[in-house]
Amino acid sequence: MKFQIPIGPQHPALKEPISLRMTVEGEVIRDADIRLGYNHRGLEKLAEEKTWIQNIYLTERICGICSHSHATCFVQGVEKLMEVVPPKRGLYIRYLVAELERVHSHLLWLGVAGHEAGFDSFFMYTWRDREVVMDLLEMVSGNRVHYAINTLGGVRRDLDAGQKAKILEGVAVLRKRSEYYFRIGASEPSFVARIAGVGRLSKGQAESLCAVGPTARASGITRDVRKDDPCAVYDEMDFEVGTADSGDVLGRVVVRVKELLESYKIIEQIIRKLPEGPIAVRAPRKAKPGEAVSRYEAPRGENMHYIKSNGSEKPERLKVRAPTLANYPATIEMLRNGFIADIPLIFAAIDPCICCAERVVTLVDVRSGEEMAVRLSDLRRRAAGRGPNALPKRNAAWPL
Amino acid sequence: MSDSDIIQGLEKDLGGKALELANPDRRRVFLKVAPADLLAVVTLLRDRYDCAYLATISGVDKGETLEVVYHFASRAANINVRTEVAKASPHVGTICPVIPGAILYERELQDMFGLVIDGLPDPRPLVTPDDWPAGSFPLRKDWKYERPEERIPGGKS
Repeated sequence: MKFQIPIGPQHPALKEPISLRMTVEGEVIRDADIRLGYNHRGLEKLAEEKTWIQNIYLTERICGICSHSHATCFVQGVEKLMEVVPPKRGLYIRYLVAELERVHSHLLWLGVAGHEAGFDSFFMYTWRDREVVMDLLEMVSGNRVHYAINTLGGVRRDLDAGQKAKILEGVAVLRKRSEYYFRIGASEPSFVARIAGVGRLSKGQAESLCAVGPTARASGITRDVRKDDPCAVYDEMDFEVGTADSGDVLGRVVVRVKELLESYKIIEQIIRKLPEGPIAVRAPRKAKPGEAVSRYEAPRGENMHYIKSNGSEKPERLKVRAPTLANYPATIEMLRNGFIADIPLIFAAIDPCICCAERVVTLVDVRSGEEMAVRLSDLRRRAAGRGPNALPKRNAAWPL
Repeated sequence: MSDSDIIQGLEKDLGGKALELANPDRRRVFLKVAPADLLAVVTLLRDRYDCAYLATISGVDKGETLEVVYHFASRAANINVRTEVAKASPHVGTICPVIPGAILYERELQDMFGLVIDGLPDPRPLVTPDDWPAGSFPLRKDWKYERPEERIPGGKS
């Protein structure tokens, strides 16, 4: 017999409103359905009524965590349309903030993963460390969340020598802390056992379902816009794309820890190579008719804006694709044949940003409704048939 | 594979099917096809141009017609396939059999632009609420939001 369990839009286990309907058979999830729109803001429509400059601040408010990602993706595209080339120093500062933001987002996520796995001291450690990078962001931009550092043709604030030194100091502290996280699995087997084998997504599934970001990289796909389509400064930086092969929540933790260390590398290179010169050039008020596709690697995955201009001071069309939306079809696969108790963990593992994608998931327990006598052997067979996502993992090892 | 390789390859492979083929910027290829050729072109891109990854699908209201842009990305380039249908009969075939990850984007197009995606495995609404009026498509240019008149329960009308 199968049941449908609705989870959300309002649910104590969810941090943001989303509606999931799970079809469950006992404790095992057989199917999941996502319904979006509970909190739809109609932002793409609104963008058509605003000028190019106003839209920077509108896109920045798409997300409260990766706010800089959307604003950067938008200005990259509009600068192409306006044929404005920002000065080098401006670009370096823009992507410095981008990498600092990635660090804060990944530290936040590691804490959430620890919390969902019942490892709350890890959560408190990472969130304490996150304050270091939040303070750096506040020092650079004046704000902890909406940095508002982007403008068309460059950035709005410069860096001085004291700030550069403080950033390097902060990064040194964070690197030491992250190296501790890098080894944490070796000393915390219970954490590894909780996350290994949960929410499995094979490489083939990740490819066909168009997963992005750490979710795809944890399944062995080396897809990273910073490498594949390097915008502005990334082709001058030396860094690697962190991947894992296990395709489970453990892999997603591993990928994010690796990315933290790569981000510190990029930040130090940016500070060291920061060129002299102006930070912005003047941009025109109107853009020529045309279209641009702008891609950017946000902390959660590829962010994509399609911008069409009609020659006026407002966009004809702005399409925003946030990474969370791209990961939903894959999430449904991860949930399938897993346990109800794993839902928060699996769902948290894609680092969902509901305000970006703004959609819902429902849990459904599906039973036929017929009563029947079941022999013990049948039950055992059913238990064995829970599927590959729910295999026991007593011997899971920390891969780092 | 460089941009010019992709352009030349597409010219050869598609022949007359490519109504427009442009390379306006580095790593950006724009291609226009007829709606009837869409599935064949998407299959070709997936199999020969490493474009199994669909970034998203954008809809654009162009007055009399609706344009649908499929943004694919490979390691080498970002290939954008566009097709155009008349607003009077906005039918596009689904690409889900080739790219299973397209489903949410196609469902969103149905809700937002009133496109009809033929053959979609799951055509339920995705973003619009259950009581959304039929025939009302928010991202079309002629759609305007009107705030409903505020009524205070128990207050003076």
